[in-house]
Amino acid sequence: MINPIEINDLYFRYITSTDYILNGINLTVSKGEILAITGLSGMGKSTLLNIICGIIPHIRKGDIKGEARLWGRDIKDLKIADISKRVGIVFQDPDIQLFSPTVEDEIAFGPENLMVEREEIGRRIENVLKIVQMEDYRYENPNNLSGGQKQLIAIAAVLAMEPDILLLDEITSQIDDYGKERIKGIILNLKENGKTIVLVDHNRDILKLADRILELKNGKLSIKGW
Amino acid sequence: MDFIELKDLYFEYKRGKPIIENINLKINKYEITAILGPNGSGKTTLGKLMMGILKPTKGQVNISNMNSSNMTLAEISSKIGYLFQNPEKHFFCNTVEEELGFALRFNGQDVDYINRRVEELLILFQLEDKKGNCPLLLSQGEKQRLAIATILINNPEYLILDEPTTGLDSHRKSVLINILKELTKKGIGMTIISHDHFFIKELSHRRIGIHRGEIIYDKRS
Amino acid sequence: MTKEVKLDPRTKLVIVLCISTLGIAVRDIISLLLILTLALTISIIFKVNLKKSFNKIKRLLYLIIVIAIIQSIFSSEGDIILSVGRVMLLTINGLEKSFQFILRIIIVIISATIITSSSSREIVQGLVQWGLPYDIAFMVALGIRFLPLLTEEIKDSLIAIQLRGIEIRKISIRKRISLYSHIFTPILAGTILKAEKLSTAIEMRGFRAYDSRTSYLVLKMSKWDYLIIFISIAFTSFYGIICIFR
Repeated sequence: MINPIEINDLYFRYITSTDYILNGINLTVSKGEILAITGLSGMGKSTLLNIICGIIPHIRKGDIKGEARLWGRDIKDLKIADISKRVGIVFQDPDIQLFSPTVEDEIAFGPENLMVEREEIGRRIENVLKIVQMEDYRYENPNNLSGGQKQLIAIAAVLAMEPDILLLDEITSQIDDYGKERIKGIILNLKENGKTIVLVDHNRDILKLADRILELKNGKLSIKGW
Repeated sequence: MDFIELKDLYFEYKRGKPIIENINLKINKYEITAILGPNGSGKTTLGKLMMGILKPTKGQVNISNMNSSNMTLAEISSKIGYLFQNPEKHFFCNTVEEELGFALRFNGQDVDYINRRVEELLILFQLEDKKGNCPLLLSQGEKQRLAIATILINNPEYLILDEPTTGLDSHRKSVLINILKELTKKGIGMTIISHDHFFIKELSHRRIGIHRGEIIYDKRS
Repeated sequence: MTKEVKLDPRTKLVIVLCISTLGIAVRDIISLLLILTLALTISIIFKVNLKKSFNKIKRLLYLIIVIAIIQSIFSSEGDIILSVGRVMLLTINGLEKSFQFILRIIIVIISATIITSSSSREIVQGLVQWGLPYDIAFMVALGIRFLPLLTEEIKDSLIAIQLRGIEIRKISIRKRISLYSHIFTPILAGTILKAEKLSTAIEMRGFRAYDSRTSYLVLKMSKWDYLIIFISIAFTSFYGIICIFR
């Protein structure tokens, strides 16, 4: 059984920096696992997520040593276009994830790119808006939504692509309690459907959902003790 | 003392879709007021109206008994420091050090004073080793700290903070709580807009709940 | 009871092209004024926010008048109205030419805003259904999204500067220029960074994952669309031919 994510002896440093931000990462994530990564800000958690989905090295450059594999294949050999068919990532800042004139267009964008047929796209839009409870805002301009609402749409847009691996980079920071409850439900539901989730978060309630919690400190991962 | 007063406040971006409806509030200068509410309730808009970044559609905002519509933003900012929810909105310099000292240099302050003040804030917010970095390339938590540092540079007497804990881990949240407590001891009051209950519980004297643009509760602890 | 007819964005594109073509090709001022009235009427029918367009024109007014004056100075035919020494500043022809120019610019601006009554997604879909490759249409739409991104950055930064206690309107022109030039680079850098992050997010949502893509939004032209397109092109050609043979 090939593991969805496997990282061996990974070292990484940004070109503009002399220090390695990741100093020997070893990580295996099994299918259907929820893995949480925690640690102080600036330690490299987002960097690690970017490597897992191939943004590093394909879009952002850096000095990378060691290997990172998705379903056994080296990420260096994969194209972003192919990775995006099975890996979804939600970033911290909703303002750099939303660009469509309406919420509906935004959510349809991903599935359209994946050649999903129209009726199915319609079903996914309705389904996903129900999950994040934003059905009333279907025809709104995302620019007019509040910060937390924008983040919910960003999450919905990625969910509509039905990825096998979902990477969540501090997505709850702007979201209120109701929203956080919904997200907990979403995460547990995804796990039931066999999806693999790697999340970075500070919120204890979210971290408690994880099967495993690791701490990233000084470029290395270790088991987090409370 | 009623530092900020909101009278019959009404605000909408688009005709017929009000964000703030009929709010009357008196904010006390020497305590910490928290404004809580779910996403889309109008908290951020309320904060911007209080600060004068947005002008009310109807009603009035008074700061120190003066109508804020008659004051310029720069005048208001000499009394109140405002923190945007997105820290990047505060940045327009090339390095962290420059960012902190910018306003002081521009207003012709003494160089030694500027250097001391900048150093003080760098240490307080644990940003000394980032002082040559570009603000936009910092991590989210570092940006947050820098943004708060920049609004403290002019020693305002009151603060309005919009979701100041966004992107902060629990350790840095504790640091921020301590910094804000220190500031209140110095007589600086603040309004904190947040949905972080733990943070609010640690700090606030008064809690105001807002939902769909209206106040639904106003409690004192 | 009036039924709300929603026009296809492609129809609007045709209308805009026709009006702009007429506006540029036509010579005499009376016709230009008629075309301007036509453009304004159509804008009102499409419920375009004319106040915003007028504000934009107001801001460019300075530039427009300067160019108009330059045009007038460089056309030296016709009766002289005003001259200084041997330099002819104002002639009848010059006045006419600059007036034509002003009208033309306003026509183009107003007709361009007709397009804004359709969302960018609809316009992109319209172009795609006409045969334009999606990549290009999308990049154009993003490029259009880029300009307001830049103006947003500038507005945010100006607010942030004032929040630091700097009174932008009360400082000297020299200091203001030095302020703007000082923050120009970081603001531009900020916009470019934002654009980069946005394009990363777009790629991670599968942009160009396959050679083509499906579309949830499908545009269908109604008989009104075809009728209006026909009328617009017929009108434009007719008018254009008359003007050429005048």
